Amino acid sequence: MFDKILIANRGEIALRVLRACKELGIPTVAVHSTADADAMHVRFADESVCIGPPAARDSYLNIPSILAACEITGADAVHPGYGFLSENARFAEILAEHNVQFIGPKAEHIRIMGDKIEAKRTARRLGIPVVPGSEGGVTSDAEAARVAGEIGYPVLIKAAAGGGGRGMKVARSASDLATALATARAEAKAAFGDDAVYIEKYLERPRHIEIQVLGDGQGKAVHLGERDCSLQRRHQKVWEEGPSPALNATAGDQIGETVAKAMRDIGYLGVGTVEFLYEDGQFYFIEMNTRIQVEHPVTEMITDIDLIFEQVRVAAGTELTLQQSDITFRGHAIECRINAENPVSFRPSPGKILHYHPPGGLGVRIDSAVYEGYTIPPYYDSLVGKLIVHGKTRTECLMRLKRALDEVVVDGIETTLPLFRALVRENDIIDGNYHIHWLEQFLARGGMEE
Amino acid sequence: MAKTPKSPVVDRELIQELTRLLDETGLTEIEIEQDGQRVRVARSAAPVATAPAPMPLAALPPTPVAELAVASFDPAKHPGVVISPMVGTAYAAPEPGAKPFIDVGSRVKVGDTLLIVEAMKTMNQIPAPRAGTVIQILFEDGQPVEFGEPLVIIE
Repeated sequence: MFDKILIANRGEIALRVLRACKELGIPTVAVHSTADADAMHVRFADESVCIGPPAARDSYLNIPSILAACEITGADAVHPGYGFLSENARFAEILAEHNVQFIGPKAEHIRIMGDKIEAKRTARRLGIPVVPGSEGGVTSDAEAARVAGEIGYPVLIKAAAGGGGRGMKVARSASDLATALATARAEAKAAFGDDAVYIEKYLERPRHIEIQVLGDGQGKAVHLGERDCSLQRRHQKVWEEGPSPALNATAGDQIGETVAKAMRDIGYLGVGTVEFLYEDGQFYFIEMNTRIQVEHPVTEMITDIDLIFEQVRVAAGTELTLQQSDITFRGHAIECRINAENPVSFRPSPGKILHYHPPGGLGVRIDSAVYEGYTIPPYYDSLVGKLIVHGKTRTECLMRLKRALDEVVVDGIETTLPLFRALVRENDIIDGNYHIHWLEQFLARGGMEE
Repeated sequence: MAKTPKSPVVDRELIQELTRLLDETGLTEIEIEQDGQRVRVARSAAPVATAPAPMPLAALPPTPVAELAVASFDPAKHPGVVISPMVGTAYAAPEPGAKPFIDVGSRVKVGDTLLIVEAMKTMNQIPAPRAGTVIQILFEDGQPVEFGEPLVIIE
């Protein structure tokens, strides 16, 4: 097991990782920018090292600085959290060269899944159902027109170097195609430095359903069920729940096993999430995230498995003793991502939290690094915290969520709490009857202004 | 390793010790400075009442009053402070056994090397950003340093 883990991240996930390390009895190092000197996890860590000024590029993305911090503290492992360097294959390799273990997947898998065209090719090869589309990148308008004609309009043009919902354009008919292509390429070049694009069938009202996996890198892998993350605004997840209201246990087991087998075949190491669009009973692979995800607590609440523990264990070379039959799914869990944003305009609202009361009680979990008097810095994401609620049934879970949301107090900044208080009272949400465009349609028709 | 600086805590034992010293020595005031903290303990003489009486009142022994003047000195706020631009290990001399780059009292010009911060076998010379006299050296040879850590004060 590791002697000392350096946490190369910030905010709630850094605190989450720190908690797991403390429970595992492993000393911790918190690296932080000057803006995060007063962060909760920095106070709790055994050691802390300031690695740079506020800008992420000079601190949390600063590989030499993080390496130097490993060197002076003697850390023999780094947990990258999510975002920042968590899916940077080069970072994983550099750490290996310096005899520091990257707590995450093998660099080659990060690389394969980071290239969305390559990821899709790999998924298809492994027997995972994919969205019909171009075989690889489309290099000419003529080729694009041919592919689009074959799969049928509407089509979606996606950046190969994109991901996380960015760099996508819809073309509804042949006449739109050329413009959509040109725009998509230009945007991709600007955002990712690479204008390679590919084409997929555009699904009108799919759900976003993802499967959590865990592998030991030695040929064993299991799935830990699905999460339904259909409620999104501008491709950012806002509310996640598990199990999906749209799947029965059999359907969930089937897709889960398909994915777990694929992970065994490639010898996947660590945690990962395989994301699908689901429409009319069909699953379509969109991408795989080779890291711990923001919404991992949903899975933890229904399986009682600590995913960070498992990440650390397999990274330390422990063989997976957990069998698929050991994994049971109990009840229902919902997570709400509470952001420091105006709930109607979504304008960021960084600032000082004057009053803070987190909710409590059975089945209520808050993953947050804020505290009363804490100032949310303007340099990073606007996540205040995640409220995760568990119940024996989806109905009980919703009642508990409503109660917990009504109890939370975050004063001094604006938050998206009113959005969740509205959602939990909406019939479609109560019925579990929604898809990936639902939330934007709700907001567009003034759902928050009622 | 470095933690964020906390506000100074009152050292009761120190004050009690100083008070005892005052009593023993008959001094009226003791002031000491250590670890960036300054403490002064002073005896405030109580008024001695004299009455024209056959039985003179005993003079009240003056009671020492601890006047706590804790001026905490935060090096990071000194205008002449030189902070570390990186994470690494600080070395005072160009190589082990050699004379240190600077001592307290050294006069430096802009660009003179003050110390080396080493990270991953790369030696980085830290230059003086201003000319002046080194009035304080805040690191020890071989000490790990973080970004923003105060290293030297030049006036």
